[in-house]
Amino acid sequence: MSRRQGPAARPARRPAARPVLRLGEAVSLPIDRRALTVGMLVVVAILLAGFLTLTLGSLGIAPAQLLPALFSDPGGTEGFVLSRLRGPRLTVAIATGAALGVSGALFQTVTRNPLGSPDVIGLGVGASAGAATVGLLYPGVLPVPAGALIGAAVAIVLVWLGTGRGFSSPARFIIVGIGVSAMGSAYTQFVIARAGREQALVLSAYLNGTLASRGWDDAVLIWGALAALVPIALLLGRRLHLIEMGDEMADALGARSGRTRIASIAVAVCLSAAAVSVAGPIAFVALTAPQIAKRLGRSPGTGILLSALTGALILVAADLLVQQSLMGVQLPVGILTAVVGGVYLGYLLIRESRKGTL
Amino acid sequence: MSPILAARGLRLAYDSRVVVENLSIDIPDGGFTVIVGPNACGKSTLLKALARTITPSAGEVLLGGSPMLSYRSKQVARRLAMLPQSPISPDAITVRDLIGRGRYPHQSLLRQWTAADETAVDEAMAATAVGELADRLVAELSGGQRQRVWIAMVLAQQTELLLLDEPTTFLDIAHQYDVLELCARLHESGRTLVVVLHDLNQAARYATNLVVMKDGGILAQGSPTDVLTADLVEAVFGLPSLVIPDPETGTPMVVPRRPRVR
Amino acid sequence: MALVLLLLAVLLSLAVGNKAIPLEGVWLALTDPAGSYTDTVVASRIPRTILGVLAGAALAVSGVVMQGLTRNPLGDPGLLGVNVGAAAAIVTAVAFFGVGSAATSVWIALPGAFAAVVVVYALGTGPRGASPVRLVLAGAVVSAVIAAYIQAIALSRPDVFDSYRYWVIGSLAGRDPGTAGEVAPFIVVGLLVSIAIAPALNTLALGDDTATALGANTARTRILGAVATTLLCAASTAAVGPIGFVGLAVPHIVRGITGADHRWLIAYSAVLGPVLLLVADVVGRVLLSPQELMVGVVTAFIGAPILLIAVRRMRGSA
Repeated sequence: MSRRQGPAARPARRPAARPVLRLGEAVSLPIDRRALTVGMLVVVAILLAGFLTLTLGSLGIAPAQLLPALFSDPGGTEGFVLSRLRGPRLTVAIATGAALGVSGALFQTVTRNPLGSPDVIGLGVGASAGAATVGLLYPGVLPVPAGALIGAAVAIVLVWLGTGRGFSSPARFIIVGIGVSAMGSAYTQFVIARAGREQALVLSAYLNGTLASRGWDDAVLIWGALAALVPIALLLGRRLHLIEMGDEMADALGARSGRTRIASIAVAVCLSAAAVSVAGPIAFVALTAPQIAKRLGRSPGTGILLSALTGALILVAADLLVQQSLMGVQLPVGILTAVVGGVYLGYLLIRESRKGTL
Repeated sequence: MSPILAARGLRLAYDSRVVVENLSIDIPDGGFTVIVGPNACGKSTLLKALARTITPSAGEVLLGGSPMLSYRSKQVARRLAMLPQSPISPDAITVRDLIGRGRYPHQSLLRQWTAADETAVDEAMAATAVGELADRLVAELSGGQRQRVWIAMVLAQQTELLLLDEPTTFLDIAHQYDVLELCARLHESGRTLVVVLHDLNQAARYATNLVVMKDGGILAQGSPTDVLTADLVEAVFGLPSLVIPDPETGTPMVVPRRPRVR
Repeated sequence: MALVLLLLAVLLSLAVGNKAIPLEGVWLALTDPAGSYTDTVVASRIPRTILGVLAGAALAVSGVVMQGLTRNPLGDPGLLGVNVGAAAAIVTAVAFFGVGSAATSVWIALPGAFAAVVVVYALGTGPRGASPVRLVLAGAVVSAVIAAYIQAIALSRPDVFDSYRYWVIGSLAGRDPGTAGEVAPFIVVGLLVSIAIAPALNTLALGDDTATALGANTARTRILGAVATTLLCAASTAAVGPIGFVGLAVPHIVRGITGADHRWLIAYSAVLGPVLLLVADVVGRVLLSPQELMVGVVTAFIGAPILLIAVRRMRGSA
C-alpha cells in the first residue's frame, strides 16, 4: 500500500505514544496516567473519610487506638463500635457506593446520556417496591433482597416495553422511567399507609435509603455482588466505548451492540438491586458518581473503576455527614443525597440543554 | 474480477415495511462503487446490509465468497469498515483517541494497545491530514475536519473494504470535494470503496462502477458513462435533463432542463 | 354527552362502595332524605363526591394550561412537581405551626406551588423551548429534592409523619366536610382565569415568535397561566393531597374529542376531569373491598400507562 501525503504538512515531531504496560508479547495494556493518579487520590480520600467515620463523635474510637483496635479484638465500647456499629456500616457504605457508581456508569453509557441513570428510570423505586411487598405485605415468603431484585427487574421490563425500542432512545425511556417510578412510588406509599405506625417509620427510613443498623450479613451480600459483577462490567468496558459512538458504528467495528447492551443492563440491574436490598434506594449516587468520575479523570471512556471509587467516596462522605449531623435525629443518608444530587441533576439539566443533547 | 463483496436475493425490511426485495449485486474488487437513487430507494439500507449491521430477512450477503454469517463479527471488521451516516462523537474525546477506537477489531482482552495500533493511527492521520489536530477535542472541530477524523478512524481499521454512507452530507461544497478526493486517493492506494452519494455529478466523477437504485431495486449499474443517460435520470428521478461531458473531467454531467413556462 | 357522563359518575360515586346502594336509593336519599341507614351512607359519600368534582376539574384544567404554556404534551401538576411544592409548604406549616383549616392550607400552599412552577419551568426550558424530556426531568428533579425535604421533616417529627403518610397519597376520603366549601372559591377563580386566557393559549401554541408577531403578549399569558395553575393545584392539594396524572391524562383524552382549541379543551376537561377522578375513587373503593385503595394510587396506575401511550405517540419529536 503506497502512502500519500495530504495537503497539510505532517507534524514536525512525532507525538508521544500512550504509555503501555507490557508483559512480553502476550500482554499489552494502555495506562491512563491521569485516571490512575485520580484513582489513587480517591482511595486516599475514602480512607480519610473512613478514618473520620470511626473516630469522630462521642462514640468514636480515639485515633491512637484505631490501628491496634482494627487488628486485635478489643472488648468494651471500642469493640462494640468497631464490630457492631460503625465498622459494618462503613464497610457497607463503601461497597454500596461502589455498586451504585458502576450501575450508573453502565446505564449512562448504554443510554448515551448522562441523565439515563437507574434513579431516573425507576430502578430504585422498583426495587424498593419489591422490597416493601416482600417485607411488609408477604413477610417470610422471600428474602428481602430477592424481592428487591424482582422489583427492579419488573421496573426494567416495564420501561423496555413502554419505549418499544429498547434503550436506544434516551428521551423516550427517561419519560417512561418517570412514569414507572410514579407507579412504583404510589404503590410503595400505599404499602406504607397500610402498615402499622412503627413498621411504617422503619420502612419509610429504609425507603429513603439508609445505612443505619447495617450488619455484617449486609456487607457480605454487597461485597459479594461487587466481586461477582464488577469484573463482568470491566470486560464489557471496551465494547461499551464503541457503543458510545452509536450502535451502527459499534456493530461495524465488531462489537455486538445488542448483546453488549443487554449484558450491561443486566449487570447494572443486579448491582442496583443488591444496593437497594442492603440500604434502600439511595438517590442520585448512581447518577452523580460517573459524572464526577468523568470530570476528574478527563477520559471519555466509561471509567468503571473510577465510577466505583467515586461512588464509594460520595456515599461514605454523605454517611459521615449524616452521622455527625447537628440535628437531633439522624436522618437517612438518602435524604442528603437526594437534595444534593437533585441540585446537581438540575445543573446537569441546564448544561445538557445548552448543549442541545437533550 | 471475483467480487469481494456480494449479495444474493436480498430482502430487507424494517418491521413489516419491505424496503428492498430480491436484490443481487456484485461489488467489483478494487473498484470505487457509488450507489445513487432517490430518497427512500433503499440505498442506505443496502449499504448497511452489505456491512452486516442489519440482517436480511431473506437472501444472503457474501464476503470473499463465503456467507457473512459464517464469520465472527470481529473477523468481518478486519476486512470491512463502514462509516454510518451520523456517528456520535463521545464527550471530551480527542482526535487521537477517537481514531484509536477504530483499532478494536485487532485488539483483544490482553493486548489492548500495541505498537501496531500506534502505527496504524499515525498512518491514518497522515492519510487524512489530521495530524496537527491530534490532541484537540473532536467536539471543537468544524464539520469538515470532523468528517476527516471519522474517515481516519475507519482507515485505522486497516481493511481492504471501505463502506461510507453519505460521507458528504452537511458539509459545505469545498469540504465535500475534499472528502471525495480523499476517497479517490484511498481507492488509488488499493482499497475497494462502496459509497452512497446524493449528488449525481459527484457520483459520476468519482465512481468506477455506478449503481442506480429505485424503489428497492437496482435499475442500472456499470461505468458512469454507460449508465448515466438523460433517459435514466428522467426514469429514476423524474427530472428532465441533459447529460453532457464534464468540461473538467470528461465524466457525464447532469444538467437539469428548465421547465417550459407558458 | 360529557355532562351526562359527569352525572353518571356522580351517581356512581354515591352508589358504589362498601355497601352498594341501588340507584333509586340514591335518588331518594338526595331528594327526600328520611334518616334511614341508606340515606346516611349516601350522605356520607356526598362530601367526597363534591371534593372529587372540584379536585378533578382543578387538576384537569391545570393540566391543560400547563400543556398549553409549555407546548408540551407531558404537562401535569404531579409530574412537574407542582403538587409536591404545595405539599411541602403545607407540611412545613403543619410541622412548625400546627394544623390549620383547609382555607389556610390553600393560602400556605400557594407560594409552594408557585415556587415549584417557576423553578421547573426555568430548569426545563432550554434555548429551544421546553422539550418534553427536559421538562419532565426538571419536574422529577424538583420533585425529588422537595420530597426529600418533606421526608426530612416527617421523619424527624413522628406525629407529623403519622398524619402525613396518609395525606401524601392523595385521597378523597377522611377530609373535613367543610373543606370543599373552603377551597371552592380558589378553584373557581383558577378556572375563570384559565378560561380567560384560553384564546391566548391557542395563539401561544403556534410558537413564541409567531404569537408575538400576531400581537399576543406571551409574557402576560405565561404569568396568568402560572397563576391559574398555582391556584388550581394549591387548592386541590390542600383539599385532597397531591394527586398526579389527572392533569396529564384528561387533556389527552379530551384532545381526541375536541381537537386543539383551548376553549373547548378547558370546558371539556373541567367536566371529564371529575369523571376520571370519581371513577378512580370508585375503583379504589371496589377493588380491595372492604379495604380502600386511595385515589392517588389508582390514578398513578391509570395515568402511567397513558403517559407511555403519549410518549409512543410523540414519534421523533423527543
